[in-house]
Amino acid sequence: MSVTNLLENWAQFRHFHPVEDNPHDPYKWAMSIDLDACTGCNACSVACYAENNLPVVGKEKFAHGQVMHWMRIERYWDEDGREFPDQGAQFLPMMCQQCEAAPCETVCPVAATNHTPDGLNSQIYNRCIGSRYCSANCPFKVRYFNWYDYPTTDNVWPAEMTQQLNPDVTVRGKGVMEKCTFCVQRISAAKVTAKGEGRTVREGEVQTACQQACPTNAISFGNLIDPEAKVHKQWKAQQVELDKEEQAKDKEEGGSDLRGYRIFEELRPYPSVMYLERVRESAI
Amino acid sequence: MIDSSFDRRDFLKVLGWSGAAVALGGCGNTSIEDGRETVVSYSEPADYVIPGIGVYYNSTCAQCDAGCSINGRVREGRVLKLEGNPDSTINRGKMCGLGQAGVQHHYNPDRLREPLLRKGDQGEPITWDKAYALIAEKMKGVSGEEIAFLSGGISGHLKALMGNYLDSFGCKNHFAYEAVAPGVMRAANKKSYGVAMPRFSINKAKVVLSFGADFLGSWVSPVHFSQQYAQFRKGVDGQRGVLIQVESKMTLTGANADRWLAIRPGTEGILALGIINALGTATGEIAAVVKDYDRARVSRETGITPGQIDKIAALLKLRSPSLVLAGSAAEGYAHGSQNAAAINLLNHVLGNIGKTVEACEAVPFPQMIPTTGNTAALKSLNDGLVAGKYKVLFCYGANPVFTAPGALKFKENMAKAGFKVAFAHYLDETALQADLVLPLDSALEDWGTQVPEYLATCAQINVQQPLMEKLHANTRGMGDILLDLLKQRRADEYKGYEDYYAYLRTALLNNKNALGGGKFDDDTFWNETLTQGLIKLEGPVSAVSFRANAVGLKLPAPAEENAQYPLHLIPGVTASLRDGRHANQPWLQESPDPLTTIVWDSWVEIHPKKAAELHIAEGDIIEITSKTGSIRAQAYLFPGIHPDAISVPLGRGHEAMGRYAKGYGVNPFQIMDAVYDRDSGELAMHETRVRISKTGQRVIVVKDEGAAGGLQMGRKIAVRVSTDEVDLSEEA
Repeated sequence: MSVTNLLENWAQFRHFHPVEDNPHDPYKWAMSIDLDACTGCNACSVACYAENNLPVVGKEKFAHGQVMHWMRIERYWDEDGREFPDQGAQFLPMMCQQCEAAPCETVCPVAATNHTPDGLNSQIYNRCIGSRYCSANCPFKVRYFNWYDYPTTDNVWPAEMTQQLNPDVTVRGKGVMEKCTFCVQRISAAKVTAKGEGRTVREGEVQTACQQACPTNAISFGNLIDPEAKVHKQWKAQQVELDKEEQAKDKEEGGSDLRGYRIFEELRPYPSVMYLERVRESAI
Repeated sequence: MIDSSFDRRDFLKVLGWSGAAVALGGCGNTSIEDGRETVVSYSEPADYVIPGIGVYYNSTCAQCDAGCSINGRVREGRVLKLEGNPDSTINRGKMCGLGQAGVQHHYNPDRLREPLLRKGDQGEPITWDKAYALIAEKMKGVSGEEIAFLSGGISGHLKALMGNYLDSFGCKNHFAYEAVAPGVMRAANKKSYGVAMPRFSINKAKVVLSFGADFLGSWVSPVHFSQQYAQFRKGVDGQRGVLIQVESKMTLTGANADRWLAIRPGTEGILALGIINALGTATGEIAAVVKDYDRARVSRETGITPGQIDKIAALLKLRSPSLVLAGSAAEGYAHGSQNAAAINLLNHVLGNIGKTVEACEAVPFPQMIPTTGNTAALKSLNDGLVAGKYKVLFCYGANPVFTAPGALKFKENMAKAGFKVAFAHYLDETALQADLVLPLDSALEDWGTQVPEYLATCAQINVQQPLMEKLHANTRGMGDILLDLLKQRRADEYKGYEDYYAYLRTALLNNKNALGGGKFDDDTFWNETLTQGLIKLEGPVSAVSFRANAVGLKLPAPAEENAQYPLHLIPGVTASLRDGRHANQPWLQESPDPLTTIVWDSWVEIHPKKAAELHIAEGDIIEITSKTGSIRAQAYLFPGIHPDAISVPLGRGHEAMGRYAKGYGVNPFQIMDAVYDRDSGELAMHETRVRISKTGQRVIVVKDEGAAGGLQMGRKIAVRVSTDEVDLSEEA
């Protein structure tokens, strides 16, 4: 297999989901985030701390890059050298993109991170040995490593604060990698309920914590396979296909009126999160 | 390998579902609590407790006064997470970061647990009985004029009880103080529209022109306005709303604007009149008032280009209705009321009144209507303290020692009050100065009713109920304390109420018919009310009509250059820290400021051009000196600020309060001059002039933005498109 052959026909060689013999069924969890609605307010990030037992690391550890925010708001300025950012800032909620061909999965020496049948990039804490290869290989830098044993670190969860911890979510110990799970505990709960009633999970039954908090409804989450799901409709309207690395939008000459895109698509991780471009008025 | 048709859950079922769940639940808890968990009997759980299942209770968020309804998730008797109550017309199921951090207020390790009596520099724990006896003793022979009660904004039954307590002494000195409040706007609106807080319909506007109103971050009712904003962006008739933000320091709302304009500090009113002039539609006396505000002059005075003024006027003319808002940036000057009046006049000229500035409803119980806090109240209290008028000072829901401008010397003046009682959650700066400190229940373990100042679509009374048992045996609710104090005064009237819960229940049931519960029996109505967490009502509607006299407008020329203090100090109001009362909630400290991404510290925003002129680099420790004092903080080069201004965020720089607040950052309130708005008497928060100098020290700024300082370096990460390239009406 020559390198040229590998590069040119990557899509055929690379193992990504859904694969033909094991398609996503009945679930493929996905998200879409409308950057025109996102105001950068950070409500999603705090919701994630509350839901997923994220430790507050404090100023010193934050300075060392050890912050654990699974959901973070990135802020970008224009780079055109104008005196003022007179079209505002660009905000981008960034969390694990639950890639279908996740770069983190292939490098894990112990298969602690792998793919679930419903299209999540999962992290098995008690299998993780802390090599941190996954974090190094993640193009989005959304994996967070437990450098300390936070449950026993001063002022992380002192005294009564432990009572706030969500019993549905593991509190991670030292030496393991963690990241956004798409609130898998909520997904599991909904699946259990649905299974008990002999049906599949319906649109709206699972909300991620970030989506639930978002004051502008910028975040949609759901089952990409379900034609009733908002994410399904949004992805379809934007003609973004999960298993393609080039979308209709990219192929249109001279721009397109589609807004949907995935970040770093050219690296072919096939992310499960679609962003909708922020819009700015041309008349002012 | 387990066959794929037999998954983990089926496997657990075989094991015995409940047994497995108990085992798993147990593991999780012991590892974090060192075995200190409470054993819940699974066969005989307490009422409403289903082991392993979250139960949701409705209540009201107490982190700010917006009155969002919350839906608290409770498991095994512990509140875990606050979510929004979808039935509320204010937040419709949504929550901001500040609100969600309410659980950290409740579980905060630094909460006060015992009543404390001053003994020299120390607080000595005493019993409640002793504390009450002490208050009774100190109040003996004190006349109404010698008592002062300082509170934050207050409403509902608590307001009624407090009023009755003060009444029992014939005391009229209730000071409702909020350090960050739209006090000038309320006064200006009252004059312009006849109501202090009309309904603003951002979602009906095609253009919003905001003069520093940070409605997405911290202004009035941000979660509600954020939802309106989302609708506004989707557009009326498919035409996406356009947001223009004019301010000297970029706020979160400014960062989301289609056009953000850096205006010379204090000239917002001039620009508003300039736009009226450029519209050319005004007649009569309004035309006469604005005739001198031609493009050339307005541009010279405000720093906004003539072309931009024309563009704004053209857009406002083309797309109607629009909405013009006056925020803290316009209000914060000695001529703040005039700025706000000029901005309101622009709304009138554009014909927005009645369309996007609408009539509002009020709750039909006048005794429950909120007494909104402002800063003029602080001045009156301070004046009284200076004069030595007060023998007893009560302080609840405010921290004036931290938030009063340094020039007022509030801490020194507070010492002149004879006996000072603080009702507090933490031993904060004000509580430290008190003689008696009474520990309060958290909002998640207390009863109450609240009426928001800004009502969304109907009148609404919010109900607050405990989401769990009290954490600490010796804290008490403010309502219970007031009731106990009232029993000292008017025993006959109040002896029938065992506690505040009984009082609230009786008070609501007595008005069952007026509250829309006529068809229910008492218990059903009460349970229904607690289940809903709010009562929606029809109340009297206050019409909005334009009634101001344009001739009265007097806008001063832009502030002259001040050689000694060349820069304007703009206090930054951030969505999560506001006036600093919640600075001890670690989620908020570690939540990056959306614009600078800085955490756990204060910073000085300075325009890169100005910084280059002064040879200041990021992380340089800067000394900021005003007439009142000086503070030191790290520099952050920030493009979204006028070069003649610097900004330091409020809320940090605590000297007390708790482990997550004390010692982090600096407090810009300390160097604020005491300048007042001439018409309303409110503090002019933007009037402090400063000079800055380098100290020679430099630190690494702790922030979340990447090494590139927030640049995409040509990568397609956060992408923007212009409106002429997309058709939003075709989207799903």
